[in-house]
Amino acid sequence: MKINKCFKHAFNMVLHSKLRSWLTILGIVIGVAAVIAIVSMGEGMQQTMNAQLSGLGGDIVTISPGFSRGGGMFLMRGGAGGTSGGAQATDKEIVLGRSDLQALKGIPEIALIDTNIRGNVDVSYLGKKGKVSVTGVDQKVWSQITTLTIKTGRMLDSADQNVIVIGGRLASSYFDKPVGINKMITIEGSAFRVVGILDDQSTNIYMPIQMAYQVIDDKTNDVYDSLVVKIKNEDQLDEVIVKIDSKLMIARHVTLKNKDFSISSRKEMQQTRADTMSAINTFLLAIAAVSLIVGSVGIANTMFTSVLEKTKEIGIMKAIGARNNDILLIFLFNAAFIGLVGGIIGIILGTILSGLLPSLVGNLPIMRGTTIVSMNSIIMALSVSVSVGILAGIIPAYQASKLKPVDALRYE
Amino acid sequence: MDSHKTGIKENDVLICLEDVWKIYQMGEVEVPALKGVSVEIKKGDFVAIMGASGSGKSTMMNLIGCLDVPSKGRIFLKSQDISKLSESDLASLRGNTIGFIFQQYNLIQSMSALENVMLPLEFQEYKDSDAVKRAKEILDLVGLSDKLHHRPTQLSGGQQQRVSIARSLASDPEIILADEPTGALDSVTGKEVLNMLHKLWKEHGKTIIMVTHDLNLAKYAHTTVELKDGEILRIFENNKVN
Ligand SMILES: Nc1ncnc2c1ncn2[C@@H]1O[C@H](COP(=O)(O)OP(=O)(O)OP(=O)(O)O)[C@@H](O)[C@H]1O
Ligand SMILES: [Mg+2]
Repeated sequence: MKINKCFKHAFNMVLHSKLRSWLTILGIVIGVAAVIAIVSMGEGMQQTMNAQLSGLGGDIVTISPGFSRGGGMFLMRGGAGGTSGGAQATDKEIVLGRSDLQALKGIPEIALIDTNIRGNVDVSYLGKKGKVSVTGVDQKVWSQITTLTIKTGRMLDSADQNVIVIGGRLASSYFDKPVGINKMITIEGSAFRVVGILDDQSTNIYMPIQMAYQVIDDKTNDVYDSLVVKIKNEDQLDEVIVKIDSKLMIARHVTLKNKDFSISSRKEMQQTRADTMSAINTFLLAIAAVSLIVGSVGIANTMFTSVLEKTKEIGIMKAIGARNNDILLIFLFNAAFIGLVGGIIGIILGTILSGLLPSLVGNLPIMRGTTIVSMNSIIMALSVSVSVGILAGIIPAYQASKLKPVDALRYE
Repeated sequence: MDSHKTGIKENDVLICLEDVWKIYQMGEVEVPALKGVSVEIKKGDFVAIMGASGSGKSTMMNLIGCLDVPSKGRIFLKSQDISKLSESDLASLRGNTIGFIFQQYNLIQSMSALENVMLPLEFQEYKDSDAVKRAKEILDLVGLSDKLHHRPTQLSGGQQQRVSIARSLASDPEIILADEPTGALDSVTGKEVLNMLHKLWKEHGKTIIMVTHDLNLAKYAHTTVELKDGEILRIFENNKVN
């Protein structure tokens, strides 16, 4: 029998199939729908994340004292990721100082260097007190290096002294009354004028580093908590990082073995987050795969019963000239069709589901309400469901093809 | 015998059974269904196989039709030893050379009359247009040209058996095997079916082998083989020339 005829008969078998076959198809539908919905959620997260990170600070490198040997990834303040807990920024022995700064200045690819210190300080505004984080920055370069953006007011300026830029939440809701531009906030007893409010949700305060040395406890002049550099050409990021690494090792008289500083970049962070994302995706996919496997067991079961049910017809077909191969192909195609039909319905259902998903799971910050059903996941779901159908159908189809005609005919 | 009139080729043996045994294994017990049957069937003959229930008629039919293999002995079809043929050779032999008519019609329920008749042609890889044309012709021959698109459940028993006859003729086989073709029909319809077989034998030169219980129906045949307990009791030619 010609292949297309086997196809036709297999298709008719699905059309004339009983409720049970449709229940089997439902198993595949659920599996495929789950895969589509989950993958769309993953891709949505990925896109949100890329949008959050891309283009921003790809040319920024941060150097911090302390080195984590396990993961090689320095734990950024407030950042996620990094498993070894190797941040040693508070270790008094290891600091970044003037010599490190000099070493960095000798690298021609570096455009700007910002020196940072950080600490927690007591603040008060109109009688309301609190403790927040202060970052001292080199106000001459800070505005060109930072990825933060201003909502109202301005960034710090080279001539600035007793002025600060504050985080969005500190301005809006941290104190009893909102803090506006040109208001005075008292920090460790000294008054600072607010010149800018950031477009974020933080309670951080940024001030010129010379002022920060005065208000933050236990800080020595020319000792920094981190150095932030902006390189001239983003494409050279990797080379510059290598260069910084070797220069600093020489300046600090350390080798790879006792290295006491860490270099991190946005790109690296992006990579780490991407790795985390793909781990989450893999996990979710594994769950969805289980439902597909359950679906395929359903197909196998239906195929076995269907072979039993069709035993007599197999006998008839053999009596009128069907070859083993014809029977094999008809049943294999039938199984593939069940997979295909289940796959198509599953994709439709999964797409609908992925549209509903954002409102179901709530507005996760990482998802921002986007799910994306990509062509890739559709093609993948279809090919998986069809191959699942074929795999589940192979043994029953083979058994059907090997039936002895006389035995099959006698079957009632 | 008037061989000229009946179209039997005296020297042309189409089917030959040589000391054929069929033993069924029922757990511990062996059930011999055929015990050393030897018979020659000539091309163009109309053979009735008779015998009591359980005498081995269907078993013999299945062996002749290559649906089963003997436990012992050899079967020749057109001088070929069928035990030497591969599965797919047997399949095409069944498809090209033999047409089956069953007591229970054995039509495929989900297919229309036309599709049922086309099925053997599809296995022989006929072109679609040829298969449709041929199937329509044969259904016309059995008087069902107005029932092409009826499903078996929408047809009477006699009509179903005529579809099944049409199906057996589809690929124009030399041999037609009919196991109690009238067993499920009333006597009038049964006679119609028999007349049809007789016509196929007489006018189309088919070799027909038919199992029947009914002596009256056996009279349509030219040769009668009588089985008893798996052995041939006697073979005789009908004295009333058809
Ligand atoms: N598959 C089988 N397994 C075991 N025994 C079988 C099998 N098929 C047939 N037999 C036995 O072989 C013998 C002959 O059976 P067969 O079907 O050939 O009889 P028959 O002459 O066609 O009878 P009937 O007129 O009732 O159709 C019987 O005794 C039957 O019980
Ligand atoms: Mg019988």
